[in-house]
Amino acid sequence: MKKILIIEDDTSISSELKDLLDNAGYEGIIIKDFESSFEEIKKENPDLILLDINIPKLNGEMLLQKIRKESNVPIIMVTSKNTEADEVLSMSYGADDYITKPYNPTILLLRINNIFKRMENKNDVLTYNDLTLDPKKGIIKNGKEEFILTKNEMIIFIFLLSNRGNIVTRDDLMTDLWNNDSYINDNALNVNISRLRTKLKDFGYEDAIETRKGQGYILK
Amino acid sequence: MKLSKYLKNNFLNLVLSMVVIVIINLMLISFKTNNQAIIGINFILIVGLIIHIIYDFERRKKFYNKFLNDLDLLDQKYLITEMIEKPNFYDGEILYDSLYEIDKSMAEKIKEYSLSIQDFKEYIEMWIHEVKLPLASINLMLHNHKELSDKKIVEQLKRIDDDVEQVLYYVRSENAEKDYLIKETELNKVISNVAMKNKDILLENNINFEVEVGNKKVLTDSKWLEFIVNQIVSNSIKYIRSGVEHYIKITAEENNKSVILKIYDNGIGIEKSDLNKVFNKTFTGNNGRKVETSTGMGLYIAKQLCKKLGHKITIDSKESEFTEASILFNKNDFFEVRKKSK
Repeated sequence: MKKILIIEDDTSISSELKDLLDNAGYEGIIIKDFESSFEEIKKENPDLILLDINIPKLNGEMLLQKIRKESNVPIIMVTSKNTEADEVLSMSYGADDYITKPYNPTILLLRINNIFKRMENKNDVLTYNDLTLDPKKGIIKNGKEEFILTKNEMIIFIFLLSNRGNIVTRDDLMTDLWNNDSYINDNALNVNISRLRTKLKDFGYEDAIETRKGQGYILK
Repeated sequence: MKLSKYLKNNFLNLVLSMVVIVIINLMLISFKTNNQAIIGINFILIVGLIIHIIYDFERRKKFYNKFLNDLDLLDQKYLITEMIEKPNFYDGEILYDSLYEIDKSMAEKIKEYSLSIQDFKEYIEMWIHEVKLPLASINLMLHNHKELSDKKIVEQLKRIDDDVEQVLYYVRSENAEKDYLIKETELNKVISNVAMKNKDILLENNINFEVEVGNKKVLTDSKWLEFIVNQIVSNSIKYIRSGVEHYIKITAEENNKSVILKIYDNGIGIEKSDLNKVFNKTFTGNNGRKVETSTGMGLYIAKQLCKKLGHKITIDSKESEFTEASILFNKNDFFEVRKKSK
């Protein structure tokens, strides 16, 4: 399980953030002692750090510089400072991403996921049972047959696949689509899901995407 | 400075001098002074008087003409004390010293006010960062506890966030200091952030959101532009027209001098008589009266921010048909040249 360190002095936010990360399958760890935050980071050896700028003692930007001298651990700055200058400064100090409060929690999870994906640098081919998925070419295939997935179908399928076995809400799917600049509406989402179902059915996976009424979808 | 006016001003002095000359003449005659001596004395008296008048007039003229001329040229009139030299006549010295004192006390007062505005601005910015924390917290809570979550709550939260942002950018737009940062920005990214912010309300109201801006880039402060575009899109959402399929379409045009971003909606449009007032502070017009939450500040702030960034914002509309906002970004030759030489 990926360890994510939360450095945030607002206790309400940090505990909700921990719940969010835990529910998403990460291990969220909250740093409580800002006096020795740097030592604590070294001790915990996290896979990613969510760092607020306005923290007591050493501020976030200074802490970021200090971490960067010793480690390349991915860092997302999470802050209510929303000026261009703050962002440029943080990125120049070596932050991997910059998100301003209040943020959409789904977006935060997507950004975290993006960073991990980028790091693992997999050859981008995903699998579902005997099907392989090539997002770059927009192709889904098994040994015999090959279908083209549209951009939206691909986004939806990848999202379901990375949450396989868990319920995915329509809102989560919409957020992911809009995050990829596909500003589709509810009808279009229905159409895309039914087309995706048809294509999966052609591969013999009927009912692979199950509808959970009032909750969302689940990929079995 | 005119001689006639100067003489008029010194009329009493001149009359007195004349009276003195007449008395001296009377005394000289009564002492039976020789005529030639009387002429000589009169000559000296009159020439002396004229020289005195000319000298006094000239030194005043020199000072006041420069003073008035400089005052006319100056944009900030209070800087006059930095321009003029201290005059060499008594009342001029008093004027000069007094002006200096007045200026100094005014400068102190202005400094006091500008410091207090600065303090207030800093406080507002700090307060806004502070108020964003509970907003972030509630957003997370609603996400983590789906049983608490309700579209209506999320919508109201967004309203608070939008209103808070408006205050922040109002303070920034009214402030003289430069707190933006111009850099090359992808239009797509800015629009994507705005879209995401308004996703729920767009979907809820069945508004189609179409974006065709390619990968065009502009020179701007991305955060400021995001606020500006968000104001325009928020208006498009606010003023939808019933009975038609709603849509907002964002496009961009580029030529070798500029990029124009266009935000088009098929909403209720703006009355012709209101069209040239939409950027006025607190102007709400006919449309504003149809919607409860209109403050008339959004477009005003957007225009102020555009002015500071050097963009040109315009709005075109036809009632019951469409509204189209355009933002023109100039391309900076210097920036282009620098990029190429890298």
